Amino acid sequence: MTEMNVLYFEGNIILSVLLFTMGILGLVWKRNAIAVFLSVELMLNAANLLIVTFAYRYGLMAGPLLALFIMTVAAAEAGVGLAIFIALYRAKRNIRVDEADVLRG
Amino acid sequence: MILYSTLFLITVLGAAMVLFNKDTVKAAMSLILVMVSLAVNFLLMNQEFVAFIQIIIYAGAIMVVFLFVVMLLNLREREQAPWYLRSTRLWGGAMAIAFFLLISAGAFQFFTVSGVTPTGTLAEPIDIISLSTALITKWVLPFVLTSVILLVAVIGAVVMARKQDEDGNEIMVEAD
Repeated sequence: MTEMNVLYFEGNIILSVLLFTMGILGLVWKRNAIAVFLSVELMLNAANLLIVTFAYRYGLMAGPLLALFIMTVAAAEAGVGLAIFIALYRAKRNIRVDEADVLRG
Repeated sequence: MILYSTLFLITVLGAAMVLFNKDTVKAAMSLILVMVSLAVNFLLMNQEFVAFIQIIIYAGAIMVVFLFVVMLLNLREREQAPWYLRSTRLWGGAMAIAFFLLISAGAFQFFTVSGVTPTGTLAEPIDIISLSTALITKWVLPFVLTSVILLVAVIGAVVMARKQDEDGNEIMVEAD
């Protein structure tokens, strides 16, 4: 294993943890629901990066396929979540997450 | 080395811009920057398949939906957070830093105590032909179930976002 590959492996683990931490920060800091959702996408990307990095290191076939399935679930989640935000906007005229505290439509 | 360091910096800066941009559209654009630089990162690791689907699905499909909803809702608000939410930023920041230290300690433990070293023989790179063969033979059931998930998501999105009057009837045409 060359020096370059060690750099990718260790650097990507650090990068993944950094991105995930920033996603958590956005999750607790933001009030706009779309900004919160962007942070969730950031965390999903960090998880994907870690999976692909370990698949690269150990030559696992399941890694890239797991990344594909995670992306599909993220796409489905984005579609449903953004539709919920549109319904929330119709009901309250804003999409602040701290004010959406009832489940009743 | 220089290429990877630059890529690392661009990714972290893009993520910071997602966090600190007040404008949602600019934050979404910064997230696209993060996704594209991650795709380059995947290319550096010889993972072409993931790099391409990263650009097509994430930077293409998902972010277009985000920008579309931002455009549709047309939010304009610059008001202060209420008093009971001010301290959440502090506590949230402290929790995130604690999380970062915890995970870093875990990774450190993984590399030093457990005896797993990052050096050693690197596995054979996964080529895209055997990957796609595995996708439609061994992993065909989850691959097909993916389509069911997407179908349910489409139906759910339509049900959530449709317009209704007070009695729950559909409104087909918006009256001005």
